[in-house]
Amino acid sequence: MSEESTKIKESEGTWQDGIAKTITFIVTKDCQLACKYCYLVGKNEQERMSWDIAKRAIDYIFDHESDFPEKSVIFDFIGGEPFLEIDLIDRICDYIKVELYKRQHHWFDSYRFSFSTNGINYHTDKVQAFIKKNASHLSIGITIDGTERKHNLNRIWKGEGPERGSYIDVVRNIPLWLEQFPGAGTKVTISSADIPYIKESVLHLYSLGIHEVNINVVFEDVWQDGDDALFEDQLMRLADAIIDGGYYESFACSFFNENIGKPLDPERENRNWCGAGKMLAIDSAGNFYPCTRFAAYSLRSKRPIIIGNVYDGIDKNKLRPFLTLDRLTQSPQKCIDCEVASGCAWCQGENYDAALSPTVYQRSTAICLMHKARVHANNYYWNRLFRKLELEGKREDFEKNKIDVKPEIC
Amino acid sequence: MKKLVGKVTEEERNEIQALFERRNGLRELAQVLTADNDELYNRLVNDMGENTTLFQGWWNRMSKKYNWEGTEDGHWEIDFKSCEIYLLTP
Amino acid sequence: MLRYLIVLLDDTSTSFCHYTASNKEPNLISLDILRKAIRWAMTENLTIQFVYPSHELLDEWNETIETIDHVKIKPATAASTSDADVVVFEGLEAIDMPLSKRDVSIVIRTRMSDFLDKHDRLHKLLAQANRLNVVFTDVDSFADDDQKAYDEALASLSLVVKNEYVNNHPVQFNLLTDRIMLTEMNNCGAGDSTITLAPDGQFYVCPAFYYDADGYPVGNIEGRLDIPNKQLYRLQYAPICRRCDAYQCHRCIWLNRKTTLEVNTPSHEQCVVAHIERNASRRLLEAIRQEGEFMSGTEIEEIDYLDPFEIARP
Repeated sequence: MSEESTKIKESEGTWQDGIAKTITFIVTKDCQLACKYCYLVGKNEQERMSWDIAKRAIDYIFDHESDFPEKSVIFDFIGGEPFLEIDLIDRICDYIKVELYKRQHHWFDSYRFSFSTNGINYHTDKVQAFIKKNASHLSIGITIDGTERKHNLNRIWKGEGPERGSYIDVVRNIPLWLEQFPGAGTKVTISSADIPYIKESVLHLYSLGIHEVNINVVFEDVWQDGDDALFEDQLMRLADAIIDGGYYESFACSFFNENIGKPLDPERENRNWCGAGKMLAIDSAGNFYPCTRFAAYSLRSKRPIIIGNVYDGIDKNKLRPFLTLDRLTQSPQKCIDCEVASGCAWCQGENYDAALSPTVYQRSTAICLMHKARVHANNYYWNRLFRKLELEGKREDFEKNKIDVKPEIC
Repeated sequence: MKKLVGKVTEEERNEIQALFERRNGLRELAQVLTADNDELYNRLVNDMGENTTLFQGWWNRMSKKYNWEGTEDGHWEIDFKSCEIYLLTP
Repeated sequence: MLRYLIVLLDDTSTSFCHYTASNKEPNLISLDILRKAIRWAMTENLTIQFVYPSHELLDEWNETIETIDHVKIKPATAASTSDADVVVFEGLEAIDMPLSKRDVSIVIRTRMSDFLDKHDRLHKLLAQANRLNVVFTDVDSFADDDQKAYDEALASLSLVVKNEYVNNHPVQFNLLTDRIMLTEMNNCGAGDSTITLAPDGQFYVCPAFYYDADGYPVGNIEGRLDIPNKQLYRLQYAPICRRCDAYQCHRCIWLNRKTTLEVNTPSHEQCVVAHIERNASRRLLEAIRQEGEFMSGTEIEEIDYLDPFEIARP
């Protein structure tokens, strides 16, 4: 009998959700793609992180262990496209591992390296060697938006000339990715033009073998009159397809969640939705941000919120507004009184960018109608599904085995 | 074949999960550390040995405590989320 | 609710608070703007506080000012302070200047280090004045290492204040007695109960927002007052302050903005300074009561933190 066998089942939700510190390296502001919905308004090919900046950031963070008491850490690498800087990332990760061990840092026993990639370079030798070397500490998400038509609507190659979609360059790497990360989910972003393709896209992703589809509508104020009705209609069609096709047994879509669409208690449910300030992001200049969304390249109309740098450290005063933010203080009365408030998300960076004054305390409500449409479809989904399961005598089994997808908003 | 044969407490799960995390960390560190870094390398070798002992000790302790069903050619798995123990046989 | 209008009569009007009125040349407010300000204050039922420069104003300006009930805030270096309601001294050395009127409120702007070194100079003034405000010009650089020294300085001044109370001279000293007298937050009120009009005809949340390079106007006297996210200047929208009981704290909106980038969030330093004062007030209250009955029903609880951020995190 072999006893040394431990299987880790952790595909559902985010690793150490809520108790891990997320430290994000913005390794490059370059990307092969020029997605139409991308909130990164200042992407460029020049701002690449140097090894010196990365090392200084790591040294600062590890030198101040008591300022980072979280039990676990997720080192997150983003861009642009992070895998454009695979050599730097490899060096950073090796350094992190050695330093954690050398310093007997408490994070050595609980860390992850996380990536959100467009998937284009996933198969390359360097990326594959990196994956092999760090296999048990990796979380990699490839963004694929659905069907070829839907994906190519937004996710197009950068450059002059006619638009060229990137679907074919991404989808070829999906089998390899799923083989290496069987429980991996993908993240789909919906803007106004994507609404008619939601149903077909989710089903397409299921057909590719992706069991968890995390979808969210963009927080920016891009919505047109009537989008909410179209959105609701698409989600109802998707609900029918999932139920009629039996996909609910082993596939999940974050649009449908039992906990959304309920009033929130002002006392007990007053926590901030967003984790800005509890995270730390570092850019190529060595500046620290409460989240990448506060870096200059993410902002349309506001100055970046820089909370320190690798030379002087973190200015804790600049973190205080983030760490004391609560739901009620930043929400307009209509949100406080909203009877379907639960699950209505916000992005602190977008709130700041859209605010009338330079503050993170003004909640943007651009997605209000879209959330309400989602709640309608969500209610329909669960009412229909539960009735079906009850009639089939399968409700209990479903409850026991259901896939619980936590909403991912960033 | 996979069969549910038992369940451990959350505390017991936490213990093996921590050992599991450390084992993975040590194994991946071993690919980076070279023998020319004497002090660290020796520490790593010692820690890997200690981790293996503790890891095996947990399975021994738990299998004795709960008296899980086993077979000669099978092995046990733990689901960290549910704390359930499964017997896997070819 | 808006209750006060601060009018800076000149670009070189004295600072009476934490900010420094710097880098400006003399530039008197125009008579037209001054008249409009007075008219607006009357229509809005606001009390005007005129902030004076050192140099004399022309008769026409003085006559216009007298058309409305008001408060005069003047620098101690002004040609005449006899009609001032508030006189502002720059530094502890300056307080040896003779005061023409005993019932005037005195503001002393000083660096913390000077205060720690020279707070003895306040003894005489505490015996004479009815109201004394000490305002620090460098609160944002207060270090945790300064806590003990500040605590000791306040303890030393408490002895003087206690004797004044025992001798029936209940001097008001912002650092030590305001907390005893207050039953709720009484902060600067910038953007909420108070608004500032600058010589450029624009409204600012407070004078600091006019002088500071990062400041911004919130409307103008020709148009209207328009404070974006006005609610954030109110106590209920300040997560740290709304549960704090350092009632005497300035809760300086400008320092908040400067140090934390949010008008509703104080810095660690501002909180610690206010809590050292709060705790010193508590000890002063106990000391005065040892001499006889005083403010029965008023209690200041003992607390184990200096920065309410520790209890404000959701």
